[in-house]
Amino acid sequence: MNGNPSSALCINHLTVNYDTRSVLWDLSFEVPSGRFVGIIGPNGAGKSSLIKAVLNLVEPLSGSIEFFGKPFKEVSHRIAYVPQRSSVDWDFPITAFDLVLMGRYGKLGVLKWPRAADRAAARRALEMVGMDHLAHRQISQLSGGEQQRLFIARALLQEADIYFMDEPFIGVDMATEKAIVGLLDLLRKEGKTLFVVHHDLNTVEQYFDFLILLNTSLIATGATSEVFTPELIRRAYGKNFLIDEAARLSKNKTSGMR
Amino acid sequence: MNPYTGTDFFSFFGVLFSRLFSWSSSIATDEIQLLVLIGVGLSSALIGTFLVLKQMTMLANSLSHTLLLGIVAAYLITGSGLVGSLGLTSLLIASLITALCTSLLTQFLTGSGKLQEDASIGIVFTTLFAIGVVLVTLFTRNAHIGTEMVMGNSDALHVDDIWLTYAVLLLNGALITLFFKEFKITAFDPGLARSSGISTNFFNYLLMILIALTAIVVFRAVGLVLVLAFFVGPPLIARELTHRLAPLLFISMGTAAVCALLSVALSRHVLTVYQAPFSTGAILVTLIGLFYFTLILIKRLYKRGLMKKSVSVTIPNN
Amino acid sequence: MLRYLTDPILQAPTIGCMLMCLSASLVGVLVFIRKRSLIGEALSHAAYPGVVLTALFFALFFPEQQEALPFAFLVGAFLSALGGLFLIDWLQRVAKIKNDAALSLVLALFFGVGILIASRMQITHALFYQQIQVFLYGQAATMLDVHVIIYALLAMVTVCTTFLLYRLLLIVNFDREFATVTKIWVKGIDAIFFFLLVLSIVIGIRSVGVVLMSGMLIVPAAAARFFARGLASFFCISAFFGLISGFLGNYLSVELPRFYGLSLSLPTGPMILLSSVLIFLFALFFSKERGLVRRYVRIFRFKQQCLTDNVLKALWKRGEGAEVALTELQGFSWRLTILLRKLRYQGWVVSAKPGHYRLSADGWLRALRIVRLHRLWEVYLVTHLGQGKDRVHRNAEEIEHILTPELEQELTELLQDPKQDPHDQPIPGRPEVR
Repeated sequence: MNGNPSSALCINHLTVNYDTRSVLWDLSFEVPSGRFVGIIGPNGAGKSSLIKAVLNLVEPLSGSIEFFGKPFKEVSHRIAYVPQRSSVDWDFPITAFDLVLMGRYGKLGVLKWPRAADRAAARRALEMVGMDHLAHRQISQLSGGEQQRLFIARALLQEADIYFMDEPFIGVDMATEKAIVGLLDLLRKEGKTLFVVHHDLNTVEQYFDFLILLNTSLIATGATSEVFTPELIRRAYGKNFLIDEAARLSKNKTSGMR
Repeated sequence: MNPYTGTDFFSFFGVLFSRLFSWSSSIATDEIQLLVLIGVGLSSALIGTFLVLKQMTMLANSLSHTLLLGIVAAYLITGSGLVGSLGLTSLLIASLITALCTSLLTQFLTGSGKLQEDASIGIVFTTLFAIGVVLVTLFTRNAHIGTEMVMGNSDALHVDDIWLTYAVLLLNGALITLFFKEFKITAFDPGLARSSGISTNFFNYLLMILIALTAIVVFRAVGLVLVLAFFVGPPLIARELTHRLAPLLFISMGTAAVCALLSVALSRHVLTVYQAPFSTGAILVTLIGLFYFTLILIKRLYKRGLMKKSVSVTIPNN
Repeated sequence: MLRYLTDPILQAPTIGCMLMCLSASLVGVLVFIRKRSLIGEALSHAAYPGVVLTALFFALFFPEQQEALPFAFLVGAFLSALGGLFLIDWLQRVAKIKNDAALSLVLALFFGVGILIASRMQITHALFYQQIQVFLYGQAATMLDVHVIIYALLAMVTVCTTFLLYRLLLIVNFDREFATVTKIWVKGIDAIFFFLLVLSIVIGIRSVGVVLMSGMLIVPAAAARFFARGLASFFCISAFFGLISGFLGNYLSVELPRFYGLSLSLPTGPMILLSSVLIFLFALFFSKERGLVRRYVRIFRFKQQCLTDNVLKALWKRGEGAEVALTELQGFSWRLTILLRKLRYQGWVVSAKPGHYRLSADGWLRALRIVRLHRLWEVYLVTHLGQGKDRVHRNAEEIEHILTPELEQELTELLQDPKQDPHDQPIPGRPEVR
């Protein structure tokens, strides 16, 4: 399982532990590349924690994470992240264009300014999401759907092979959602791998061809047709009292609490 | 003889301009004050803009207290800096120790101590400041030093302080310019920054050290009272006037410089005309406050004026 | 030390300090719960110009009325802090400033204006100036009995309000939604919270000072958190810590310089705060449930338990009654030697020949139990969570050490007392283990 360059993401015994409710426990799975992956599960299941652990935003307690067989630090330039819209302060004094251009900052490295080619790419990305006429608008003046499309444009600019998106369709109207899904599908056709934390079970089968179903621990992964079954859904969304208890006890014992 | 003695507000500027163009050899106390205040104002406004955007202003408050212990520590190491002028090395040591102690202790309390964040910050800065006050009082054998530190003493400024101030300004300006896009992205979207391989930790620490550096210089010039006002006031004023980042930085720096200039002139004016010595630093804070509230008032009245105009347009004229 | 309470000169400042810190630490519990310690910082600085303006007012119009001054200060500070509170709200609601910026702005501006006027009075009304500056870092020494009575009354207001509204405070602070649903006047309780906050700040700044007041609100509460079991004990313990801090701080501000042979006296504020921090540190390290020392001891003990379990399991795998040479065990080291000696002492293993060990009867049962828990958990993971059977071993290695008898019971019932684990190995039955 280690170092397999054809799997986009390979996770081994990942455990993530905060003081908040979300805990991830002993997760192990592998996702082949080129898939449109939905990460689903009930609230507090750890879906956002999974993304954060995978992207080096939080320290896992244990376990390994590999992208195309390599650790995050070596391949960070091939990974794009679209965070939750609420994680950002939309009063910040930048324009839509500035925001999209930030997608290039990682690739540019320190001490380098964005070049003409980067700016042109930003303009193209804005066109692709239908926002080029709003390029110089302050981000505080944009609607939810427009903000989400900006995030997508920024991700496009990162020119990555793997995309991680955290609940991109919350508070977005149906038309924008369809538009975004269309864009993402285009990406997938180019061979990119997409991971999306998704909250709406109604659209799961429509969008994704691969699923990660979790609730603190992994319930199932695999092709949507195999995973999206009543039995497994019930298992995920039902109360897993024993797992929760065991996880809680384990956390207490390792931190010395009674 | 101080050429500014006996000048009122307007003649102050007169003397200032004439001395600017005549390049007289010795520098007056008022001018030292002026240069230092402008210098620290520019630095504070620059750093402060990012603090306001990152909603980290209370951290600046925290550091403005813990820096006292940093100064004491630097004094113990280098033997200088407690009274009289502060050398550049002492300054750097003090800032590093300040930033390090504050962040390490806070992290310790929230991490191992499992204490909530606001309480950790509060405990750390009040404790370190209390220790600092006690140590300084004992070292200097001066029971009133605590008060003096709060109010500051602009008249005790020295020519060396000018060099120090502008060295710090240069450092701030250089680092902010060099790392502009990194500061921008870590302020706006730290999640994206980290996942793009940019170390948010590094830039947060860097910012903290710059805050400590600037705060120490401000503190020594005008005391505790002004530090936070200088970090927060000008950016907030600028925020009312612009919605873009670069103008925001320049307007807040400009506002800080203008307020510094006006406050020194006012301080001299009030001393001359009313024989009333006031703390220049306090005048500065009050000026910043006045500017801010006047601006808000004007904006609101203007908005109401606009609304009245639009309402009267829609009412049909018979 | 006791003469601080009995000596008529020392009595007033000492008891005054204690009462002021009592009310601060009491309200501090609420501040702590609501995670609003930063607003305490802003409001305490906002109280300062009130003190200064009161002094100015008296200096200009009633320079002879020195007795009324301490009480006037209280009123001035209260109004000023209240003004700061409304301004903070206005800035957030109307000027649309973020919370931290509003707090910082009010803090800086109010304090600055206070310093502005005070700096003038330093020259023109020196006596009044000295009375003001006491409020920066606190100075209890100049308090008279009459002050203590007033502060005692105010502190009693705090205590009584907390006591009477205890139930409501409990509900509103811990479960706001429930409170709104049951038609409790949540906004009213919030208003009372802010009133108590401003009051306790105004009471406290005479002994702790404006600069350090916010610390005094949090530290006793944070220390009490390590010991409290419910809201009532939280209040009581915090109040108790506040009392001790007030006493100690006052005591140390006089005795400490004397100890060092210095003729100056330290302001009471820093000493009170540092006393309460000492209590906090003690609580942080040594408290029973959450103290660091205890926690590290527990972690160490747990690690030892896991090690023991694993060693016993390893011996069990060799078969019943098997004598195993120490050197054959995997992971052999001097630590293992020591551990096995300890296990022999405790009765889990027996050593017939030197360097060889075998499980005792008790050790056998313990090993059996661990194996049972391990295999039960593997069954659970495979059947109920759909995990592959080659994945479950590692997790079970961890969980076998922490499953309680209650959880074991649940598992047995849930899985209907399975006899085989996913690797087709037999699961030791419950009668065998018992």
